[in-house]
Amino acid sequence: MTKENIFKLKVSLADYATVIRPQNFEEIMMLGRQLSGKTVKMVNSTYAGGGVAEMLHRVVPLFNELGLKVKWEIIKGNNDFFNATKAFHNALHGKKVEITDRMFQTFEEITMENCQALSFDEDIIVIHDPQPAGLIRMKDRSPGKWVWRCHIDTAHPDMRVWNFLEKYVSQYDASIFSAPGFAKELPIPQYLIYPAIDPFAEKNRELTTYEINSVMRKLSIPQDKPIVTQVSRFDYLKDPIGVFETYKLVKKHFDCRFIYAGGSASDDPEGNQVLNELKERADGEKDFHILLLPPFSDFEINALQRASTIVLQKSLREGFGLTVTEALWKGKPVVAGAVGGIPLQIINNFTGILIHSVEGAAYQIQYLLNNPKVAKRLGEYGREHVREKFLLTRNLRNYLLLFIALGSPGQSLIELPK
Amino acid sequence: MNVIANEAFRFYTSSLLVEITGKNAHHLKEFVRILKEIDESSIFYHVHNAFREYSFAPGKYSNDFARWVAEDVEESALAEKLSSIYVRDFTNIEDIRKRLIEIVENHLNSATEIRKAPEGREFHFLRSIAIVSPTEYEAMTLSEFVVALKRVGMRSLYFHFFEAHLRLGRKTNDFSNWLRFSLDNPQMADEIEALDPYFMTMDQLRDRIIDICQGSTESKLVKVVVKIPQEITHDIATFGKRIFRWLFRWLYD
Repeated sequence: MTKENIFKLKVSLADYATVIRPQNFEEIMMLGRQLSGKTVKMVNSTYAGGGVAEMLHRVVPLFNELGLKVKWEIIKGNNDFFNATKAFHNALHGKKVEITDRMFQTFEEITMENCQALSFDEDIIVIHDPQPAGLIRMKDRSPGKWVWRCHIDTAHPDMRVWNFLEKYVSQYDASIFSAPGFAKELPIPQYLIYPAIDPFAEKNRELTTYEINSVMRKLSIPQDKPIVTQVSRFDYLKDPIGVFETYKLVKKHFDCRFIYAGGSASDDPEGNQVLNELKERADGEKDFHILLLPPFSDFEINALQRASTIVLQKSLREGFGLTVTEALWKGKPVVAGAVGGIPLQIINNFTGILIHSVEGAAYQIQYLLNNPKVAKRLGEYGREHVREKFLLTRNLRNYLLLFIALGSPGQSLIELPK
Repeated sequence: MNVIANEAFRFYTSSLLVEITGKNAHHLKEFVRILKEIDESSIFYHVHNAFREYSFAPGKYSNDFARWVAEDVEESALAEKLSSIYVRDFTNIEDIRKRLIEIVENHLNSATEIRKAPEGREFHFLRSIAIVSPTEYEAMTLSEFVVALKRVGMRSLYFHFFEAHLRLGRKTNDFSNWLRFSLDNPQMADEIEALDPYFMTMDQLRDRIIDICQGSTESKLVKVVVKIPQEITHDIATFGKRIFRWLFRWLYD
């Protein structure tokens, strides 16, 4: 077992009680008591890697601690299957990828194999994402309620893939989407559960000043002036060039540093192109730092965000935008593009600042650099906003509410017994 | 504080599971068309959401409709009018719906252009499933009520204070209702009814209610304390005057 897994197992409900409001904790406990003994099966495609597995690692033990009996299983598949589902995933995200009939056939064949290998005797079955969606074929042989949880931004899907998937999804008892704009016209109820961050994850846990300073020293970034940071992939949709243009405008009037920190782009030709273009443009700018971070740099990203005066997310298109959530949780004033799920997190001039252009971003950054009290207040409200809406415990609570609602389909008011 | 109520006050809490209706408005004409046909539970959700969620500071807009119109359609005057809708003035959702439609249609009648929200910023009509459950807190006296009020969650406070007037069909709240009819304290019930929760956070609202509950007994004590010396002073003065008059008459005679 890795150090990270040991750390994950150590976090219990009592730890979350130290982070969320006591009333919210009591509510979770109360809902847990109502559902005590309920059996649930969660199914996805992997135990390791990716946000879904990370979330399940955390929430499954919490459900069990609450008295539910939750099992987590994964489907099995060969390379062809996972290549097909990877292509489906990208197509649902709206990327142009080649989808062949053979991919659909492989998906159905492997789905049948998994149907035979798994059993579904639980009260509630939650299937995560498209890879195991076909398991709904087993619904007739299962006594439970079936829920499909879509973690993907399906706002602009390839319709051929979506139509293929929809014939499975529409057989479920309910579905869950991460934002209203991701939902589709379906004959089943579609519930809204926002993505959430884990306050105890390596990317979000509290750091000491020593830890933050050591990372900044390691990355060779002096902390001698205010720092504005954007953490994003090297992708044109995250507008790295716009970040550099913003830097140039701000730098004319306020002495500061900008950091653009992104993950490794070795397997992404477009990522390399974006990285090279950004490096070329920023050549000679000593206060514009481009960081190419290796995989598993959560600790470094945490420290970078915490060392920043302002966090920028100048995306042109965005899914939910969890990097914004992470920055808000750290109490940082965030200036971000009004795209995707960002306006759900940033209430303009209240929990952060929304912008629509390079000029807007530069103006607002200068305003906040010159008005630290306003910046502090935005950061405080942003953190409270995340505490209420986007922490893992809110996710847990929403799942508990959904499990209760599944027992009373069609009712808009459910009264629970004492 | 220790008068026993005719009936115990049981604190409930309500949690919302949010459902996506799939109905989206890209501009105001579409918005008002959907508004006319959408479930009551959707309107209920959007006029209450801001108060439920932003408990740490009062928000700029009192409802989701006003916020969308301001930030995405960029019709500030209309947003202000929508934001001025006082949910407490209404005792049913249909009347809120009529008022919303009236405001938007009046705007559309005089509008020279119909602005469209940017792509991805359309209004998504949501609705909610309310899951109501009793909490462990119950009060038979005012002091027990105050202790419980300090401990219950804001969703409980919300359930009893904001939602009550729609549930009861009267412009009141569960706390005032209990104080008036079970604890026979109409004055305190009136004071709590007079609170305007739309310009304070839930925490501030809780503190104000507690202040009224405690303050009223304290002010009674203060009144008693103040009253007693006044009466004594008055009596002493009266008695003194009588003695003075008696002495005066005795000396004079």
